Amino acid sequence: MFDWSAITQNSHLIWSGVLITLEYTVITSLIGLVIGLIVALMQLTSNKIVVVIGRLFVEFFRNIPLLVWLLWAYYALPIFMGINISKEAAGILALSLYGAAYFAEIFRAGIQSIDSGQSDAAVALGMSYRQMNVRVILPQALRRMIPPLAGQMIIQLKNTTLLAVITVPDLLYQAEYIASFTYRPLEVYTTIALVFLAILVPLTYIARRLEQKEVKS
Amino acid sequence: MSSETQAAPTTPAISVEDIRLSYGEAQVLSGVDLTVNRGDVVALIGSSGSGKTTLLRCLNLLAKPSHGKISLSGDPFFHFDNGKDELGLSAAQTNAIRSRIGMVFQQFNLFPHMKVLANVMEGPKTVKGEAHSTNRDRAMSYLKKVGMADFADRSPSSLSGGQKQRVSIARALNMEPEVMLFDEPTSALDPELVGEVLSTMIELAKEGMTMIVVTHELGFALEVANRVVFLDQGTVCADGPPSDILMNPPNERVKGFVNRFHQTAEMMKPFIKSE
Repeated sequence: MFDWSAITQNSHLIWSGVLITLEYTVITSLIGLVIGLIVALMQLTSNKIVVVIGRLFVEFFRNIPLLVWLLWAYYALPIFMGINISKEAAGILALSLYGAAYFAEIFRAGIQSIDSGQSDAAVALGMSYRQMNVRVILPQALRRMIPPLAGQMIIQLKNTTLLAVITVPDLLYQAEYIASFTYRPLEVYTTIALVFLAILVPLTYIARRLEQKEVKS
Repeated sequence: MSSETQAAPTTPAISVEDIRLSYGEAQVLSGVDLTVNRGDVVALIGSSGSGKTTLLRCLNLLAKPSHGKISLSGDPFFHFDNGKDELGLSAAQTNAIRSRIGMVFQQFNLFPHMKVLANVMEGPKTVKGEAHSTNRDRAMSYLKKVGMADFADRSPSSLSGGQKQRVSIARALNMEPEVMLFDEPTSALDPELVGEVLSTMIELAKEGMTMIVVTHELGFALEVANRVVFLDQGTVCADGPPSDILMNPPNERVKGFVNRFHQTAEMMKPFIKSE
């Protein structure tokens, strides 16, 4: 029933798909983390306009399905802006901003979970807003944020499969491609499901360990 | 001690003029005047909701009044006229003033991700950019002074409340402040741990540190403070030497407050005797 030659003969395509998937996960997570931190800090300032802008960013990206936003970034944005945008750029843009909205919520919740006495003590010593965040608030908040951040990165990795829709050659795209000329969807999709499991199970395990460590401390 | 302290011994350490502050409708401070001279140990007392903690937090601008003037050693650092900033100090200038005022909190607020010594060194390191070795030597000497030198490498979470509070006093002292503010420093402590913190504060007072202490410890107010300020409904209701205020209350509000403490002490007597 199974004919694994469809996989063995095209393993190079699967490998390149794995690399593309990991590459997009890392790049969009990093960009998302940076933007997310900025958006979180925006929501924590006393300037009401800045707070609202940060809030709007989060609600905008959290309430549009990623697939819709991805297609919009690829097909509508170029027309809208009158620019040419490659599928890679559209994919990175969509996934980064979408991830940033969720990272921002994790950062905001993490920072707000730090007792206000900590900022009182930092301010009373004469620290600036930046010093207070760098020396006192963020080091404590980051520790609490590691488990949810790890969880969000796992979701980010799974979300990269949507890139296949705009023909970025990620793991799912390669699977579709191989299936289209070998006519062996059973073997191909089983294989990439197993590849995702092989990547994500260890990551999930690490994330859970971090969570347990956090609960203990 | 900083140079201006020696240069101008007669200027008040802190002077406060007509401070007003409201949270929404509720007026917490309604025109407080207070002048604290160098070396004064002021006990700030009053029932809860009288505004004493808010007043203390105004002194280093952890709370911002809507009106009034505050100056430190003759340097004005706050002047609002009904919500309008008359002084326009930058954030950096405000931070520089704060670095000259030490503060000790009810809940200690030590930095849990740093060891004891790092907690004490943090202010001079980050705020003043001081060299590591000078900072460490002075930090250790202050830890020794509060009896916590043996705990320098410990984590704050491993300390008792009294030990945490002594470390937090050392942390404030290591900035070499001109004034120390204490916000109910013993209220969160188990009764048997109150003594070690009070004795540290008594030692500081003897050395001439200017201290403003929000406290419920009337014993401390009577024995250590040279001045008691009684706050009621956001204004100074009585101000004078502890023996005058606490033993011969000048008005009904103070009398009512002090009597409640005497009554509690009376009520406790049979229980204490029966042991």
